Amino acid sequence: MDVNKNNVKIHVSHLKKSFGSLEVLKDISNDFYEGEVVVILGPSGSGKSTFLRCLNRLEDITGGEVVVDGIDITSKKTNINKYRENIGMVFQHFNLFPHMDVLRNITLAPVDLKKMTKEEAEKRGMELLKRVGLEEKAKVYPPQLSGGQKQRVAIARALAMNPDIMLFDEPTSALDPEMVGEVLQVMKELAASGMTMLVVTHEIGFAREVASRVIFMDGGYIVEEGTPDEVFNHPKEARTIDFLNKVL
Amino acid sequence: MAKIITGYGPLLLRAMGQTLLLALWGLFFACIIGMCFGLLGVVKNRLCNIIESVFVDVIRGVPLIVLAYFIYFGIPFAVNNLLGASGFTLTALQAGTACLALNCGAYMAEIIRAGIQSVDAGQMEAARSLGLPYWRAMVRVVLPQAIRTMIPTIINQFIITLKDTSILSVIGFPELVNTAKNVVAITFMSFQTWLIVGVMYLIVITLLSFAAKRLERRLNRGRQ
Repeated sequence: MDVNKNNVKIHVSHLKKSFGSLEVLKDISNDFYEGEVVVILGPSGSGKSTFLRCLNRLEDITGGEVVVDGIDITSKKTNINKYRENIGMVFQHFNLFPHMDVLRNITLAPVDLKKMTKEEAEKRGMELLKRVGLEEKAKVYPPQLSGGQKQRVAIARALAMNPDIMLFDEPTSALDPEMVGEVLQVMKELAASGMTMLVVTHEIGFAREVASRVIFMDGGYIVEEGTPDEVFNHPKEARTIDFLNKVL
Repeated sequence: MAKIITGYGPLLLRAMGQTLLLALWGLFFACIIGMCFGLLGVVKNRLCNIIESVFVDVIRGVPLIVLAYFIYFGIPFAVNNLLGASGFTLTALQAGTACLALNCGAYMAEIIRAGIQSVDAGQMEAARSLGLPYWRAMVRVVLPQAIRTMIPTIINQFIITLKDTSILSVIGFPELVNTAKNVVAITFMSFQTWLIVGVMYLIVITLLSFAAKRLERRLNRGRQ
């Protein structure tokens, strides 16, 4: 997991996001580099999920700038669909398509968007399923999978478009405790392969072990950031210390 | 009873054919209208949403019989007045079809809107996050799930529309009720005639419900 400091994948400056009169993100600026695994922590309501969703424009931003690979994604001229192909997202509630079998869930986007032929996509789909340890589930429908299996399929689905950035929005929060490990394991392997990852999570152990950088958010701002060692062992801000005392 | 069946059976069967013809035309256009307005109701555009809800409220707020009179008598009258002509007329089938299509279409629009909105928003988000454009995500991911939940309600609406064809007897369309009235006028056998007509509706609608149940079961196959 080498971080390439010469290549800014996502540049965020003075990002603001409001829902009506509720200001969720007040002023966020940061750069995310190629190969980084950034874990975003914070109490609920701190805006961390909203922040992630602004990065692929699932939420339209209220102010500021988000530039990905040199392209301003908030501009009306940007083809957001093209850009989303390069940025995978994994959701808390998996959001698998229940009316398609597992393999079809994975091949839908690449085939539909003519990135691959059906045969290529299915071959790639089976490789990805093998990678997440679920090749025998290819023809099963999502309602028959456990939560951990669903999330692993969701990761495979996001990877099918060959993205170079992956966003994880609380990927283990909806899982039974015994299934958290299998999902984190897949994410660790992905991180080791050099994928640029932004992960909103409460899994401190994962952050310590895998993150190249930890960001702590509260009240719509980035309060503190640094290496896992800096943030977890030597936090500077009172709000960070307070939060860590509650969760550790 | 036997006299009605032997004497007027073929006539009543032909009238049932006309009822089904009218219902099928009405439902065909109702599906198109319902789909268009239903989608107007779900897109993220205030104006589209307002158009849908005004359409639905107006049609729902007018009794079918008034709509029938309005389309069959009122519209040709207004058109002829406007053009200073007298030749424009609508056949009872045309007016009846339009009437059922608008009426059933409004209810279908609401069924389709609600069906789409009942699909978890995360489905659309997941599809969009993969790079699918809005309409493609709608067609591939959201609609197939929405239609499954809509099927029972849509079938129910079909049955209501099939029965509503009887109201169009007032504009002279030779469907079952209109024909039966004539049979009663000739034979004075009111009890027997209306009993037979009732049973005829019952048989057709029971068959329809049965087919609907089978369709529903088939669509749900492969799901938990």
